Amino acid sequence: MVSPELIGLCIRIIIILIKSVILVGVVMLHVAYATYFERKVIGHMQVRLGPMRVGYHGLLQPVADMMKLLFKEDIIPSRADKPIFFSAPVISFVAVMTALSVIPFSDDFSIANINVGLLFILAMSSISAYGIIFAGIASDSKFAFLGSLRSAAQVLSYEVALGLSLVGVMMLAGSLNLRDIVYAQSAYPFGMFIFPQILGFFVFLTAAFAETNRTPFDLPEAESELVAGYFTEYSGFRFALFYAAEYVAMIVMSSLGTICYLGGWTLPPFLTGMFPFLLKIPGIVWFALKIYGCIFIFYWIRATVPRYRYDQLMNIGWKILIPLSLLNILITGLLKMVGVL
Amino acid sequence: MKQSKMIRKLINKIFFIEILQGMALTLSKLFSHAVTRQYPDERRDAMPGFRGLHALVQNADGTLKCVHCGACQSVCPSKCIRLSITKDAEGKSVKNYELELLRCVFCALCVEACPYGAIVLTEHYEYCDDSREPFRMTKPKLLRNWEAYMAGDRGEEYLKKFWLPKSEDFVEREDQAVFDKSRIEKKKASERSVK
Repeated sequence: MVSPELIGLCIRIIIILIKSVILVGVVMLHVAYATYFERKVIGHMQVRLGPMRVGYHGLLQPVADMMKLLFKEDIIPSRADKPIFFSAPVISFVAVMTALSVIPFSDDFSIANINVGLLFILAMSSISAYGIIFAGIASDSKFAFLGSLRSAAQVLSYEVALGLSLVGVMMLAGSLNLRDIVYAQSAYPFGMFIFPQILGFFVFLTAAFAETNRTPFDLPEAESELVAGYFTEYSGFRFALFYAAEYVAMIVMSSLGTICYLGGWTLPPFLTGMFPFLLKIPGIVWFALKIYGCIFIFYWIRATVPRYRYDQLMNIGWKILIPLSLLNILITGLLKMVGVL
Repeated sequence: MKQSKMIRKLINKIFFIEILQGMALTLSKLFSHAVTRQYPDERRDAMPGFRGLHALVQNADGTLKCVHCGACQSVCPSKCIRLSITKDAEGKSVKNYELELLRCVFCALCVEACPYGAIVLTEHYEYCDDSREPFRMTKPKLLRNWEAYMAGDRGEEYLKKFWLPKSEDFVEREDQAVFDKSRIEKKKASERSVK
């Protein structure tokens, strides 16, 4: 006889699986079109048109790119360390996709609601750095190696600032659970932590750029000096995995910023007070809009700010961002003690 | 004065004023019109006087204007013109006019050198191909180019407007130095008759 507990467990597992499939599908679609919009936005910012030839205004460009990557010859350097070479893109990709599983996209959609969600995301984004380091070491190429060295140093130093900047949020919310963080924000006049935590938000944003290897901190893949950095030697589908991992990491960082600073799927209370019908729109719409805004900022910065030199990057990380985030913790603690927040 | 400057500098540094200005610029460009021209769909007309594909000029009756003087061949800096002549009962005529397009630098010195405006550069520029053969111009090909791109008044106008061949203002001056004895005699005779 099958016990009812077992059946319940099976049903829950099936529900989680279905949710995962939906999430992976939606996120991969977003990744594909994130590349399209990146090219479009940056193109128009540079007074170009961006992709125009495939489909109406190049709308099918991501599909064409995907087909190309799938059918491309997979080249492996003869002196590559094969097991590590093969596992590196998988590690990177799996780590960022795993981070997605704890993100609450709306009030009722998250795959796992764990109490250390914030910490889990930080841990996963560090693990994805392993993929980058492995790729560099296993490819037997100086470009990949230099890229991975840079990435290791960069991720190490910016992880600290990223974590410390989120401490302010943890102090205000009193929890590491991402849902609780969102709920805690509704007590504030703007319904967001960005206003008491503006300093923390700035540090978080800067560190998130460095963490996802985006311009102005894209030194691990600085194309003008390192070809493509750590994934220079990758081609075909493995290349696509790295590429997708970068965009998923961007989505994860945007969602983290949305949850911790911009109020997640909720709207500011004064807005819903003025227009009650806004409450009828599902929260996931607001969440998606906030994420798109964050991703647009990623693109916008990429089109504007040139790449920092390596010593500048290190100076910003250790001498500016970490002291700033410590200051933010101090201010938040004092305000909390006084009872303002 | 100095202090206020320093304070302004500090504010600029803290609030990233320069980066924000740059971002404002890129955002304003996002909503401006792109300057890209979608080439195969939107073609651009050649500028007047454009130096494109070569052509041999024909008279209205279909004969060559070329008098096989070889000025174009000798002036060509990239040595891509080769002119060959045949002799028959009617006299000399152009046997072939070979032009190596891949070596031509489109300086148009040949057009300038030609006293009769017999060779010309047309405004046609889209003639890419995937082998060498189509770029070796011969007399019939060059004549066809004239018919295709410069037919009618177009070619004549182009030549007159931009090149003005010497044949356009060939005038025999009265006081021109001549070495023909018979002409000298004639001249003297006419002078005598005037007296």
